Amino acid sequence: MTSLSLHAPPLWRQVLPYAALLGLALLIYFVFPDQLPMAARIAALAIFVMSLDLVVGYGGLATLGHSAMYGVGAYAAGLLATHLTGNPLLGLLAGACAGAVLALLSGLFLLRYEGLTFLMLTIAISQIAQNLASKLRQWTGGDDGLSGFTIQKILGLASFDLQGRVAFVYCFAVMFICLWLMRRLMASPFGLACVGIHQNRQRMAALGTRIRWQLLKLYTIAGAFAGISGALAAQVAQIVGLDSLGFELSAEALVMLVLGGAGNLWGALVGTVVFASIHHWASTLNPYHWLFIIGGMLVTMVLVPRERWGQALSRRLQLFRRAAAPSGASS
Amino acid sequence: MTLLANILIDGIAYGMVLFIISVGLSITLGLMRFVNLAHGAFAMTGGYLAAWLVGAQGWPFGWGLLAAVVLTGLLGAVLEALVLRRLYRRSELEQVLFTIGLTFLFVATANLLAGPEVQLIPLPAWLKTPVDLGIRTLPAQRLLVIAAGLAVLALSALVLGRSRFGIWLRATVDNTGAAAALGIPVKWVYAATFGVGAALAGLGGILGAELMPLEPYYPIKYLVLVLVVVAVGGMGSITGSAVAALALGTIETASKYLASDWGSLFFFLSMALFLAWRPQGLLVARRA
Amino acid sequence: MGMKMNWLGAALAVVGMAGAAQAQSVKVGIIAPFSGPFAHYGALMKAGAEAYVASQGGKLAGQNIEFVWRDEGGPNPANTRTLAQELVVKDKVDYIGGIVFSPNASAVAPVIQESKTPMVIFNAATSDITTKSDYYIRTSYTLWQVTVPAAQHAAKKGYKRVVTAVSDYAPGIDAETAFKAEFSKLGGQVTESIRMPVRTTDFAPFAQRIKASGAQAVYVFLPGGPPNLGFVKAYQENGLRQAGIEFLGTAETDEFDLQKFGDSALGLTTLFHYSGARDSAANKAFVAAVNKQNKEAIINYATVGAWDGMHVIHKMIEATGGKRDGDKAMAAAKTLKWESPRGPVSIDPVTRHITQNVYLRVVEKGQGGLLINKEVQTFPAQVDHGLTK
Repeated sequence: MTSLSLHAPPLWRQVLPYAALLGLALLIYFVFPDQLPMAARIAALAIFVMSLDLVVGYGGLATLGHSAMYGVGAYAAGLLATHLTGNPLLGLLAGACAGAVLALLSGLFLLRYEGLTFLMLTIAISQIAQNLASKLRQWTGGDDGLSGFTIQKILGLASFDLQGRVAFVYCFAVMFICLWLMRRLMASPFGLACVGIHQNRQRMAALGTRIRWQLLKLYTIAGAFAGISGALAAQVAQIVGLDSLGFELSAEALVMLVLGGAGNLWGALVGTVVFASIHHWASTLNPYHWLFIIGGMLVTMVLVPRERWGQALSRRLQLFRRAAAPSGASS
Repeated sequence: MTLLANILIDGIAYGMVLFIISVGLSITLGLMRFVNLAHGAFAMTGGYLAAWLVGAQGWPFGWGLLAAVVLTGLLGAVLEALVLRRLYRRSELEQVLFTIGLTFLFVATANLLAGPEVQLIPLPAWLKTPVDLGIRTLPAQRLLVIAAGLAVLALSALVLGRSRFGIWLRATVDNTGAAAALGIPVKWVYAATFGVGAALAGLGGILGAELMPLEPYYPIKYLVLVLVVVAVGGMGSITGSAVAALALGTIETASKYLASDWGSLFFFLSMALFLAWRPQGLLVARRA
Repeated sequence: MGMKMNWLGAALAVVGMAGAAQAQSVKVGIIAPFSGPFAHYGALMKAGAEAYVASQGGKLAGQNIEFVWRDEGGPNPANTRTLAQELVVKDKVDYIGGIVFSPNASAVAPVIQESKTPMVIFNAATSDITTKSDYYIRTSYTLWQVTVPAAQHAAKKGYKRVVTAVSDYAPGIDAETAFKAEFSKLGGQVTESIRMPVRTTDFAPFAQRIKASGAQAVYVFLPGGPPNLGFVKAYQENGLRQAGIEFLGTAETDEFDLQKFGDSALGLTTLFHYSGARDSAANKAFVAAVNKQNKEAIINYATVGAWDGMHVIHKMIEATGGKRDGDKAMAAAKTLKWESPRGPVSIDPVTRHITQNVYLRVVEKGQGGLLINKEVQTFPAQVDHGLTK
């Protein structure tokens, strides 16, 4: 019989994944310094996929237009650096605000709808944003991208170097903080309410939750994080292209999310690392054949669902736990 | 006045291509509630087969077209019966992911077999001759597209309304359980419908090859367009798809004539407005 | 004991050889599209680059050449920058070559500037790219370079009203600006400037707009591949020539797609810097070398851009003795002058762009009934008019 514990897991269990992540970062920094530029990009992208997890995994809203918030965040950071100041932290703030504002405004419209309609409308929003960015070439650089801006030293300490060391530390630190923030948020009553809405809207409505309002808050917060991700990527690459608002980005992020497992944020991180690494490695071999790999992976993953072996695994773990602690297990 | 005529003629031609490609997806979405994002791959397959048969193998255009369409339909039916059928009960997200993976496989295979270049379908001379409509000249091929679209519309209405298969199909859409209980071969209806949808997509791919060039990334590039038409038109509604395709096709063409530097903005704006006005689609098929 | 010494000696010899071989290998990173709708560029650049090395006997200036290929994909500046950064930091390349899309080319500027890595652009055609870093050299073309002669030709033919139709991105806008500037200077008038979104596949509306403009000719620029193909077909199918609107293009009759147009392409006029059918000894040798390397490779401006690009890298290796010295290499490159398959060329020391002839070509039937771009007039030694006014 499963016991539903109302206590949070022990502290060491909570800290362990973060410590492991930190350890991984140290490993990459010292042992694989050649990979630092790639790792920095993956870290920035991971924030985006995690923000998508908030909407898709926790909130249950399938969206293919999340790149809109990423893109406006990227352009906001780029424009700030071009016209006002190259301060990186202000750039992140600008990105967060831009993403949040777009999410809020579009969410007011989008959240009236559900299912396929909602999905299509999210695509519409990001395509409109992309076409608008292309039209406003004098601001965004159009198809050529927004470039030529410089980013000042991070906290007045270090500017971006060719090796990618500073970029990696910067991106990793921001990602780490965002991950922690998002986990805390989703473990709070607000986060639980969102999960509740995902599981059963009528039940939550019956409990008095204002569904659309909660979802709007979630969507806005996710938009802010997506904007941070875009801003980060823009600062590290020092160029923003129209592809940051594209459909392909939204679709790839969704694939990364599902690859790693939606609903707990760690899956988003894992999925991003796995997908981006395989993509990079496979493209160096043969760019077209990489589609065979990813297509095959997706197809197999669905045909042999994670739930089946995920359940088998967790059942085995439970047996193990029960065997290790025979007293007080059943209540 | 010429401008309006131009917009209408080109818009209707473009819309008809979109309709022919999308109608199969609309039906399978409405019937099996199965989100098949690989639908564009069928359009590409039809086009590639036709390009190979007519171009490389030297078949006459008409026979090549027919063979390509039939083969694509068969591919669709076989795929449905063997693989896709297992996914009907899965969540939408899983169907989306599976069919995206399938699309990637199609893209990579197309590149492997035919290379990354655009595939051209050689048209017979009678299709290439410009036809003078008085207001402007139009390649005959565009008129064929419009005629084909109308034919598909008419035939589907006829088949759905009058034929036994149509009755079976409508019954299965309304209530699969009851239909099966009544002895309708539901599984066969599924396979056949899917096959016909795939065949129509193939036809659209062939006829639209001038407007939407056939290259390996075709299914990914035009996925959004097809989804838009289906969503706006209403899942399961053939007339809905036709209306949506023509409306959106004309809007897109108009924006090319009048405001080309805005790109496809008006297309997506209109799509958003249509969906906001009618979230279930312009003409929704009845579903119990 | 003898055996042991032999074994040790052999081991040392092998290590020594490996060390020596490594020291003698010059690494060249090439970033080009190998996937997506423009993947043919990558294949052609690879053919051109490898053919050049093979034609020099497999080594350049006595050094082994190791190519590192990276996929540019489509216009994706952030990704290209990462690729360049990796090439420099991880793969430690001595030179970078390639790049088809202008935004991608501009994105690598900070990387090559800081690492002092000479970058030879094989295709990207927007004028201002080379101003963004001191380490760019370009062996392709720029729109200003080929458009100024086009405007001069239009004026000479007596056209008074011309409409421009370009793809809406930096090179296209360069083409439009260049044509307007030069043509107005010569007394002509550009009646309408049509910009076509890069993603366009159906060019019929634009063909109709051109028809309705009442101009005598249309000056065109689109990126190679599907857009070129689509536009020329639209020009043919909508009866623009019959309506009296002459075609004045740049790369639209690119050898890659030329045969697909059929006989209706005969007579199309373009102004460009290279024709595969050029009747010169250097070109014939080039064609033979590429076909030896890769029988299916098409000979076009991308192939020759890579070939000449490798020539520049060859000379840079020669000047630095195979060692990594960006400044010395650039100094040597700026003085280069040679006979390319496309004609006599040199590198402009100020703009670091290739100065070359631009040819007026007409599509004709050549040997074996294949369509060719026949050079009928030469505009000698054109510089990048966008940077050198």
